[in-house]
Amino acid sequence: MTTRQSLSLTVVAVATRTEPDGHPDIPRLPGFVESTFNPLLFDVAQRCLTAAPGDPSRTAVVLGGLMGDSTTFDLTSQRMVAGQVHNPLLFMQATSNSVLGYLSREFGITGPMSCLSVSGGLAGELLLAADLVLDTAEVDRVLLLGVELAANERTGHAYRLLADSGGQVGPPVADVAVALLVERGAGPVEITSIGAAEDLGGAPAPGGYGSVQGLVHLALGCTGSGAPGTTTLVHDPTAPAEQAVVELTHRDAALDKGPEA
Amino acid sequence: MGREVVVTGFGVHTAHGRGAPAVRDGVFAGKAAFAPVTRFDTSPYRGSVAATVPGDPELLEVLAGCVEDALTMAGRADGGDMPFLLGCLGDFGAITRFWRDGPSADTVNGTPAVVADTIADRFSLRGKRLTYTNACVASAAAIIHGWQLVSSGRADTVVCAGVYLLEEATFGQFDSGLAISLDSTLRPFSADRRGMLLGDGAAVVVIESADVARRRGSTPLARITGWGLASDAYHIAKPHPDGKGLALAVEQALRMSGTGPEGIGYVNAHGTGTRLNDSAETNGLRAVFGASADAIPVSSTKSTTGHLMAASGAVEFVISLLALMDNVLPPTAGYTTPDPACDLDYVTEGPRAADLRRVLTLNAAFGGMNTAILLESP
Repeated sequence: MTTRQSLSLTVVAVATRTEPDGHPDIPRLPGFVESTFNPLLFDVAQRCLTAAPGDPSRTAVVLGGLMGDSTTFDLTSQRMVAGQVHNPLLFMQATSNSVLGYLSREFGITGPMSCLSVSGGLAGELLLAADLVLDTAEVDRVLLLGVELAANERTGHAYRLLADSGGQVGPPVADVAVALLVERGAGPVEITSIGAAEDLGGAPAPGGYGSVQGLVHLALGCTGSGAPGTTTLVHDPTAPAEQAVVELTHRDAALDKGPEA
Repeated sequence: MGREVVVTGFGVHTAHGRGAPAVRDGVFAGKAAFAPVTRFDTSPYRGSVAATVPGDPELLEVLAGCVEDALTMAGRADGGDMPFLLGCLGDFGAITRFWRDGPSADTVNGTPAVVADTIADRFSLRGKRLTYTNACVASAAAIIHGWQLVSSGRADTVVCAGVYLLEEATFGQFDSGLAISLDSTLRPFSADRRGMLLGDGAAVVVIESADVARRRGSTPLARITGWGLASDAYHIAKPHPDGKGLALAVEQALRMSGTGPEGIGYVNAHGTGTRLNDSAETNGLRAVFGASADAIPVSSTKSTTGHLMAASGAVEFVISLLALMDNVLPPTAGYTTPDPACDLDYVTEGPRAADLRRVLTLNAAFGGMNTAILLESP
């Protein structure tokens, strides 16, 4: 990489849900209906937090994506346009805050929680956000979450408009979720920098994960077979040029892939 | 120890109008801006009132006006490498128009990130663009993120914003959740409070390194000396009854600024006028300030502007800034009857003169998210 921003993050757990045929086995989440967004998010978050338990009072959560819970938004809007009464359950899950509130209750998380919509380079932005959050005295680790739902009629049109104006993010082939739990200090896989793509060797990794493409690649890189002391360059094809590559350094054995990674 | 962070410009637009004079004439005079909604048919709903600007303005245009005002005040109208951090859940009106009228170029504005990208492009703000979507704390979270970027030296100047304009989908959702007040008044902390009312709002603040502002010859309006972000770990939609997360956020902000309870001259509360929020917020402030809370004036300016959703944090930041600049406390309007569960000084008599050095602005949201931002005189 020719230009880079140094980072000092250690990945302590990852989890993904990337099945191209959907998620028929995803457990339901009490109080949440209709949309897969919330159960998917909870699934990957739970697996990370269970794999690497820590102090929930010193844990932060940052959720990212592009469209958010489009299923809930569009269902609400469609019902309204059709003259149907609003569903109070959809009101309860009207923002992604709600499922983060559920997560925080289940795991006792009292640290900061945030939700972001980013039009490109989500992986880099979440890593930079984690780096900032970890600068505060109150936080030891950050759970980074990415969730994007497959396109529906409305978001499909929005994706086409974005592409027409030069956007790099397309829809995922299926609903997808990914989580990475990061902290400071030494560990098996360290994220050492974000930088430009000039020196990227080989072909870009396969796509299909929409806005969370870079995060999925990052998770796969962390669970890959990098020998101790080697580095892996993870490409986020949705990112602006100066943030297109994340550099991983393998200090020890790879992270456990987990059942779905 | 990071760099000192100051505010050098702002823009604001509520149902009272655009700019600081409208806020002074409306919010600080305790005038509630609620009126029957004309933007859509409210007959299917229980509620019918909100605080809206005239007509059916475009969300992007209202936000753009505030950006223009803020950049002009800060002397940065030429744009530059400034990040643009926005609190906004997207233009829900665009989603409704898609399902009602079919696809159009406007459909893309239902995507939150697109709103930030469009505005940043228009004003040549070439730094990063992030859109916070965490509901009623979204724009407060954007300001806090901006503070972190400036304090850490990752950016010299950041433009932080929030916007929400009333539309039918959100109105209907809150109506279905029985959260809307039916008596046309938002009565925060009053025993007869019946719920919230929504409102239009947008605000933009320019924050920057004090050293950079000084070198530019810019006069800081205030310093941001502390902030807190914390969660309740309690419920998906209800606040913790003890105001747990809110208290954690306030304690963090005080600790960061090195300020004790006696240092706070005013608290701009989240104060939604719902039974659960207002008592929880009172309990959270009691938990932090103890008996000292009796001497700290607290008001909810949502009683005049309505609940501005994702714009709440930014607009109430500006209101708190004006309180600090003018040495006047904005009142809580609509208050009629003391509630034993809400036993603080809520500035119910009208605007009050004060000698302010530090003010605190609070917000809370679904999922138990809480923010506190501490402003100090420069």
